[in-house]
Amino acid sequence: MTDLWSEVEPLLAHVERPARYIDSEFGAVHRPDAGYRAALLYPDTYELGMANQAIAILYERLNGLEDVAAERVYVPWKDMGDAMRAAGVPLFTLESVTAVRSCDLFGITIPYELTCTNVCEALDLAGIPLRAVDRSEADPVVVGGGPCAFNPEPVADFFDAILVGEGEDAVAEIVDAHRAAKSQGLSRTDTLRALARVPGVYVPSLYEPAGADRPARPREGSGAPAQVVKRVVADLGAFRAPVCPVVPFMDVIHDRANVEVLRGCTRGCRFCQAGMIYRPVRERTADAIVRDALAQLRCTGQEELSLTSLSTTDHSDIEDVLRRLSAALRGRAVTVSLPSLRLDSFGIDMARLVAAGSRGGLTFAPEAGTQRLRDVINKNITEDDLLGTVRVAYGEGWRRLKLYFMIGLPTETDEDVRGIGELVSRVLAIAREVTPPAERGGIRIAVSVSTFVPKSHTPFQWEGQLTLAQVQDRQRVLRETMPRKGVDLHWHDSEVSFLEGTLARGGRDLSRVIERVWRSGGGFDAWTEVFSLARWMEAFDAEGIDPVALASVPRGLDMPLPWDHISSGVTKVYLALERRRALETTVTPDCSFGGCTACGVCPALGVDIVLAGESRG
Amino acid sequence: MADATFRLRVTYGKTGRLRFLSHLEVARACERTVRRAGLEYAVTQGFNQRMKLAFGPALPVGTAGTAEVYDVWLKRFVAPDAVLGLLRAATPEGLSPVRAHYAGEREASVAAAFTLADYEVVIGHPDRGPGRLAEAIGDVVSSGVLEMEHKGARKVYDLAICLPEGVRVREEDGRSVASLTVRMGAQGSLRPDALVREALRRAGMSDELMSVTRTGLRPEEARA
Repeated sequence: MTDLWSEVEPLLAHVERPARYIDSEFGAVHRPDAGYRAALLYPDTYELGMANQAIAILYERLNGLEDVAAERVYVPWKDMGDAMRAAGVPLFTLESVTAVRSCDLFGITIPYELTCTNVCEALDLAGIPLRAVDRSEADPVVVGGGPCAFNPEPVADFFDAILVGEGEDAVAEIVDAHRAAKSQGLSRTDTLRALARVPGVYVPSLYEPAGADRPARPREGSGAPAQVVKRVVADLGAFRAPVCPVVPFMDVIHDRANVEVLRGCTRGCRFCQAGMIYRPVRERTADAIVRDALAQLRCTGQEELSLTSLSTTDHSDIEDVLRRLSAALRGRAVTVSLPSLRLDSFGIDMARLVAAGSRGGLTFAPEAGTQRLRDVINKNITEDDLLGTVRVAYGEGWRRLKLYFMIGLPTETDEDVRGIGELVSRVLAIAREVTPPAERGGIRIAVSVSTFVPKSHTPFQWEGQLTLAQVQDRQRVLRETMPRKGVDLHWHDSEVSFLEGTLARGGRDLSRVIERVWRSGGGFDAWTEVFSLARWMEAFDAEGIDPVALASVPRGLDMPLPWDHISSGVTKVYLALERRRALETTVTPDCSFGGCTACGVCPALGVDIVLAGESRG
Repeated sequence: MADATFRLRVTYGKTGRLRFLSHLEVARACERTVRRAGLEYAVTQGFNQRMKLAFGPALPVGTAGTAEVYDVWLKRFVAPDAVLGLLRAATPEGLSPVRAHYAGEREASVAAAFTLADYEVVIGHPDRGPGRLAEAIGDVVSSGVLEMEHKGARKVYDLAICLPEGVRVREEDGRSVASLTVRMGAQGSLRPDALVREALRRAGMSDELMSVTRTGLRPEEARA
C-alpha cells in the first residue's frame, strides 16, 4: 500500500475545488493495517456522490468487518483527471491515498444510467482494463450494484460481478467469499464462480446474453443460477442507520443527516421502477428513527435532518416521529425535511409539524394532468385531493409550491397534456382565492415536467418512449396551455431522457457504444453542460445499433427482455397484468394499506410487509 | 428582553490538507464542530434560524493559517479550557482550535477588529538563497504599486499602504521564507503569494512557491 499524497498534492493548486480530493473529513474511517481493502466508487464527482446513502451504509458496514478497510473514491473532474494522467497518478482512494488497482475489491454503485461513461473513466484512470475479460489476477474484483443492477446488461462487460438488491448482508458475504477464494489461491475464473454462488450476485461472464429470441442463460457448466434474485433485508430494524457518516467540507448535494425511515413503496405507480424493485414496505420503528436521527445529528453536527424514503409520510407512525423530533430539536436551529408529501390534509399536517412556524416550499407530484391518465399510471390521487391540499396550504401561509408532471406516459393524448396546464390554472386560482390580496404577488408555482422513460421491471417495461420530435410537439402543446403569470415552467432535457431510455432497456451490445462514447471524450453525461447527444448518436451509428428502435418501439409481451434473468421478486405475470389494468384505466390499491395484490415479492423472497404502527391510513 | 449570551472567541488553525478548503467550507466545518461539541449556542432570529457565529477575514483556497479566529455566542458559560477540550475532540485534524476565551459584547467584530495579517511565504529555490529573493521583493515594493488581475477584474495595490511593515526574508531548512504583514482594507487585501510571484517573475526566477501561511491577525495599534 503506497501513499500517493506527495504526488497528488502538487496537482491541487491547479484544479477546481481541491476539497474534492483531500479526505480528512470528520467521520472518515482510516484502517491502514487492514488486510483486505475495498474501494467504493460513486461514479461522479465528490459533491454528487458524497451524500449517497447506499455508499454510506456500505462504508460503515464494511469498515465494521474484521480486518477490512473500505475507502471512498469519486471520479475526478476533467481538470483533475487530465492532471493525473499527465503526472502519471492513478485513481486513488481518499482515505489512504492508495491506488485503486492495489485494492482487493473495487465496488461501484450505478445510481443512474448516464453515469456509465464515468465507470469507464474510473476504470481507465485506475489502470484496470475496462472489460472484465481482459483483467488479470493482479486486478481487483470489480463489483457493481445500485438501481441500474436491475438491468445490468449495458454495463455488464465492465464488471466481474454485480449485486442485485440490498447490500447490508450481501457485501459481507461477498467479502467473505472473496477472502476465502484468495486464501485458497483460486484463479480469477474460479473466484468469480465462487462469487456467483453468493445469493443475489450476478457474474456476467458466466452467462450467454439474451438474443432476439431467447433470454440470457447461464453458460454450460458455469454453475450460475438461471435467474439471479435480488437480495432483500427482511427487517430494516436489524441495521441502524449510519450513526457517524462522513461530514463533508464542501457544499455537496443532500448535505444533511439522513435517516431512512422505511424502505419500499407499494403505492404501485406503474411508471416507477423504485416502487417495484424495493418492495416490500419495511418500516423502522418510531423509537429507532428518533434514536438514530438524534445520534446522527449529535455525531455529525449537521444542521438539517432528512427523513428519507420513497414515501415518508406514509410511515404508520410518522406523526409520532415528527412530534418527538420537533420537541427534541426546538431552539437548536436544526431543520427537518421530508422528501415528499402525501397529497392530502395529513401531508399538510406533517409539513406544519416540521416547519415550526416558517413556511418554505411544498412539493407534490400529481404526475399527470387528467384523472384518466392518473388512473392509467395508478397515481391514486384525485384533482380534489390536489386542490383541497392547495387550499389548506395557501390558507396557512405557504406561498411556494412545486409540482412534478410527466409527458409521454402510455396512452397520453394532447388532451392529457393540455390537462396539465388546465390543472395548474385551477391550482393558481385557488391559491389566489385564499391568499390575502397584499400577498398574492408572492405566489409562485414551479412546474417541472419530465419525459416518461420506460424502465425495466415495471408494468410499462414493454412500452415505447416518445421520439424527440413527439416530445417537442407535446412540449409545444403544454406551453400553449400553461399559465404564464405566477408559473415557472421547467423541462427535463428531452435528449437526456431519450438516451436514458436507450440505456435503461438496452442489452449487452450497448457496452460497445458506451466505450466508444467514452473513448471519444464522453464522460460526466449527467452534467448538462457536458452532455452531447451527437457524440452518442455517432457511437450508435458506428456500432450499427438503432437507438430510436431501442427506446421508442414497443416490445411484445412474449419477447425476451435483456433483464429476464434478473428477478426483483415481482413476477412478470403481475407486471403484464398491471399493464393490462393500466390500459383499462383500472387502479390497483396499495397493499400496505389494504390487502395483498399478489405481486409475488413476499412469497418469492420469504419476506413480508413490516409496519411500525398498527396500520397505515 | 433577549437572553444573555457569552461571546466565545476561538483561535484555530487551517493547516495541512485542509488549507485547500475555501472560507465557506471552513465556516461550515466550524459551525458543525460547535454542534458536535455539544455546546449550547445562541441562534439568530428570523425566517431561517442559524447559529450565531462570526468569522474573521477569509483565507484563500490553498493558503494555510495558524491563528484564524471566529466568535460564537453561547447560551451558557463554559470555562474556556473546557470549551477548548470539547471543540478539539469534535474537530477534524487540520482545523484544530488552539485557544478560546470570552470577548466582551462591545468589542469590535472579528472582521473589523483585525486590520493587519502576518504571513509567511515559503519559496523552494535553495540555489539562489534568501538574498536574491529579498532583493527581488524589494524591487517590487520600491516600485510602489502592484497591478494584477483577479477573477477578470483589474486591481491596483498601493504597496506603501498594503505593506506597512516591510518584507523580511530568511533561510530555513534550505528554503527561503518571506515574512510580511498585509494591511486589510475594504477594497480587499493584497495576496502575499501574488507579490512574491510577481517578484520572482520580474527577477526571472522560476516560480517555486511552496506554501503560504497566515500566522497572525491583529489590530493595527497592537504592534509596538
